[in-house]
Amino acid sequence: MSESDLPSSAESAPGKAALGNLLDWISTVDHKKIGILYICTAVFFLGLGGLEALLIRVQLLFPNNDFLSADLFNQMFTMHGTTMVFLVGMPVLVGFQNYFVPLMIGARDVAFPRLNAMSYWLLPFGGILLYFSFMTGQAPDAGWFSYAPLSTKPYNLMPGQDYWIIGLICLGIGSVAASINIFVTVLQCRAPGMSLQRVPLFVWMSLMTAILTILALPALNSALAMLLIDRLLGAAFFEPARGGSAVLWQHYFWVFGHPEVYILILPAFGMISEVIPVFSRKPIYGYAFVAGSSAVIVLLSYGVWAHHMFAVGLGMGADMFFAVGTLLIALPTGLKIFNWTATMWGGAIRLTTAMMFAVAFLLEFVIGGLTGVMFAAVPIDWQLTDTYFVVGHFHYVLIGGTVFGLFSATYYWFPKMTGRMLSERLGKWQLWLWVFGLNATFLSQHVLGVMGMPRRVYTYADNPGWMALNAFAGAGAVAMAGGTLVMLLNIWVSVRKGEEAGDNPWEGFTLEWATSSPPPAENFAVIPEVASRRPVWDLDHPEVADAEREPTPADTGWRPDKLVTSAWAFVASEAVFFLLLLVAYVVFNTDVAGEIVSAAMLDVPRTAFFSVALLGSSFTLWRAERLLNSGHHAKFRLWLGLTIVLGGFFICGQAVEYYGLISSDVTIDDNLFTATFFTVTGFHGLHVIIGLLALAIVLVLALRNDRNVLGGTTLKAIGLYWHFVDVVWVAVFCIIYLGFLQ
Amino acid sequence: MIELLSDKELWNWWSPAWLVVVCVVMLYSRCIGWVTVQKTAWLIAGLSIFVFAFVSPLGVLADGFLFSAHMIQHLLLLLVVPLCLVLSLPRNPAWQSGNTFTFKTGILGVLRKTVGFLVSSPKLGWLLGLGTMWFWHVPSLCSAATESQLLGFARTASFLVAGILFWWPIYAPSKAARMPASNAVVYLFSACLGCTLLGIYITFTAITVCPAFASPEERLAIMTALHDAGMTAPVDQQLGGLLMWVPPCSLYVAAIMSVFCRWYSVEDRGAVDLSVSGATEAGR
Repeated sequence: MSESDLPSSAESAPGKAALGNLLDWISTVDHKKIGILYICTAVFFLGLGGLEALLIRVQLLFPNNDFLSADLFNQMFTMHGTTMVFLVGMPVLVGFQNYFVPLMIGARDVAFPRLNAMSYWLLPFGGILLYFSFMTGQAPDAGWFSYAPLSTKPYNLMPGQDYWIIGLICLGIGSVAASINIFVTVLQCRAPGMSLQRVPLFVWMSLMTAILTILALPALNSALAMLLIDRLLGAAFFEPARGGSAVLWQHYFWVFGHPEVYILILPAFGMISEVIPVFSRKPIYGYAFVAGSSAVIVLLSYGVWAHHMFAVGLGMGADMFFAVGTLLIALPTGLKIFNWTATMWGGAIRLTTAMMFAVAFLLEFVIGGLTGVMFAAVPIDWQLTDTYFVVGHFHYVLIGGTVFGLFSATYYWFPKMTGRMLSERLGKWQLWLWVFGLNATFLSQHVLGVMGMPRRVYTYADNPGWMALNAFAGAGAVAMAGGTLVMLLNIWVSVRKGEEAGDNPWEGFTLEWATSSPPPAENFAVIPEVASRRPVWDLDHPEVADAEREPTPADTGWRPDKLVTSAWAFVASEAVFFLLLLVAYVVFNTDVAGEIVSAAMLDVPRTAFFSVALLGSSFTLWRAERLLNSGHHAKFRLWLGLTIVLGGFFICGQAVEYYGLISSDVTIDDNLFTATFFTVTGFHGLHVIIGLLALAIVLVLALRNDRNVLGGTTLKAIGLYWHFVDVVWVAVFCIIYLGFLQ
Repeated sequence: MIELLSDKELWNWWSPAWLVVVCVVMLYSRCIGWVTVQKTAWLIAGLSIFVFAFVSPLGVLADGFLFSAHMIQHLLLLLVVPLCLVLSLPRNPAWQSGNTFTFKTGILGVLRKTVGFLVSSPKLGWLLGLGTMWFWHVPSLCSAATESQLLGFARTASFLVAGILFWWPIYAPSKAARMPASNAVVYLFSACLGCTLLGIYITFTAITVCPAFASPEERLAIMTALHDAGMTAPVDQQLGGLLMWVPPCSLYVAAIMSVFCRWYSVEDRGAVDLSVSGATEAGR
């Protein structure tokens, strides 16, 4: 495609295009536009979250200040944390992934463009739900991790907490859908020649993040579902006064929460792994280590959650093991610092704003990382937990790591997204404001923490030095706000009057630089041949091409099926959801010694009878799949219909069971058995109904001789889900009805 | 405590484990032969750990006294010893190249084929590897196997066999028998999940998982010292659960790292088909 065919960069710049054709943006399924929408939405919420942070700082400016009431202060830090994690951090990273993953792997779009749009629109929806809570009189105020029992009804009567839960469920569903999309895109849509061992590290990190999200978010969702049932239906999962367990909430939250840390940091690792090599004019040092160690991080991150709970009293044994696990996970993270440093070593470094942010990342992230390792020592954790030291620590990780990575990526990729360069001069202003701000605010907080200043308390006594340090922290916050305004100004000015960028202003190495800036709707006119990890470098420098000098495992050309892969990913996510619900069942029904439980209340033989129908439906669906594959369309429809009938029969059975129980006054709020029973079987029933709807749609399409159904893998993908629902039921039946593990 | 440790009762020098070692060494030298120092070292490591698991105080304490000791023994026998044994097999042993090696009787040949078929199935390996962990920790079975010597033998044998079947798809001597890298990662990760669940259950459950250990019929002198140091039955079980959870997962993660090394190396042909298997694994 020649230059003249492309829309001029000014025309397609996001600002003007958005004004020019609003509907086009609202209805878009183009991954680039959706990426920009994600980023813009995140910037909007950054404004809100930042404002909340500033209000917190103003309140803490003086001892015994009453600028904010205690209640409002609680709401501010809760909303600040929730906003920054769920409405800023995750969306902006997903936005960059949306925009650049397809470009970097040489794809035309993501695997499921419409699903992509849905994932995005759940973000403003969830955000509005969350912020609507202000209209109800009180925003959520139980902290971003909403520890029970503070978040349960007896301690939190206002509906703000309910909005928090529902908003987060929305955002969670959107995140999982977006991640499944990225996951399948990376596996399926890679350009010919791009083996998984050759993908740019940002793509690899996105893949790892997607896996993390797919497997970690459902842990939060199951906890949220239980908390919502507690609050709205009167169950007592997390109410110790009625036999529930507040610690269980902490377990579930951190099973999600710790991987979440890596969900926020891995893409930033990916970003600086792109920036540092390009501005050092060298390939990344130890590609395989950076990639492989990230996979190890993914695995380990699920096993260290309890280091957030050292103060709970899990027992010395548990503390010891989690301490060791925490030290272990520091290794693959910490060693990467050496990879990035070694990449710069001996390179022809160009200190652009993007590169300077990457270097700042290295320095600041090390501080956050090291204070993190300090917490692995249990006694230090006990001493410092719930003080400002913790706040300082994780802000160094999230700002020094994630935010600086994002700023680096913004300066690096902005020319690609808009066709114009950002001002380097304003960029340096932004950099130094942020570097000062970060260190001023959070280094002081480290000191305050050691001095014993507790976090989440709305004011403090006039202790020696506290006011000065808090004031310094406040100045830092103002500097960071100023830095953000400089960035927005830079973007505003540069979109209009910035220097023309051209296709590859930084002489980048990866495929996004092989197309025009901004890229056309279909991304590439011709996809260059990929034979190494730096295809564009190879193209520009054939005499020293990586393909010759550093051979990498070649691409076999095989790609997985989109639908089946996405179905597997979805099933994996749902499996975690059900697993945690079942764990809750086992936890709450072990101590009771089985007296009131299953045997007395449930009609096991009757349910067994209905279960046979459900399991039978798995068989009939398997038959249907085989008949479809062998081309017997009429018989296929028959067996598919039979599957639906059997599934429906099972649901009727469940309805009969529920009717019997409810009419004899057994309801979800009776005790922990009924709560867990109705929750587990209810969610399973819901999944069966969704499966039935999906199968019914397939049947209707099959009756209309739809080619996608008759010739594609639709049935296989839905079949996978259906078999999964049956497997879950086997587990449910064994545990609840037969009393396994009790 | 140091004095008590040196107590002779804590060492079971007459354990039948030695007999097993002699048999294995004879079988190895007969069927496989001493190929390289490295392979021999793996064999020696495997057998030493095996002997350690029974002869040392660990073996004695595991025999009905300390649940956590039992758990260490369990893990050594199920994961570490089989891993060493599988790694001790040479790439192309005589019995794998088929034609050049003939056993005196055809029965063994048939047996070899059957075993070969079973061994090369990752699903079976996974199910047995995880299944034995869960199966032998059903409270009644756990106690029974601790109290009855015969069942104890059966348990040990099942650990070794399941362990070898588990590791085979990852470290089989012939590359053809190994799983593609992506599948191997899923295989190991899901195994980690499996033992994590069991570990969590044992750590946090109120149920006594192995009653034989909670109220042993007799006590060793050292038990009193341990008890005084805080090693009560619930603490013992919690420690056992954590042992079931963290060390195996660390081992699996280490194995995953070795699979990644294999995958990224250009020489290895198996590595090249990762993208192929990527999809199959994708959803698993």
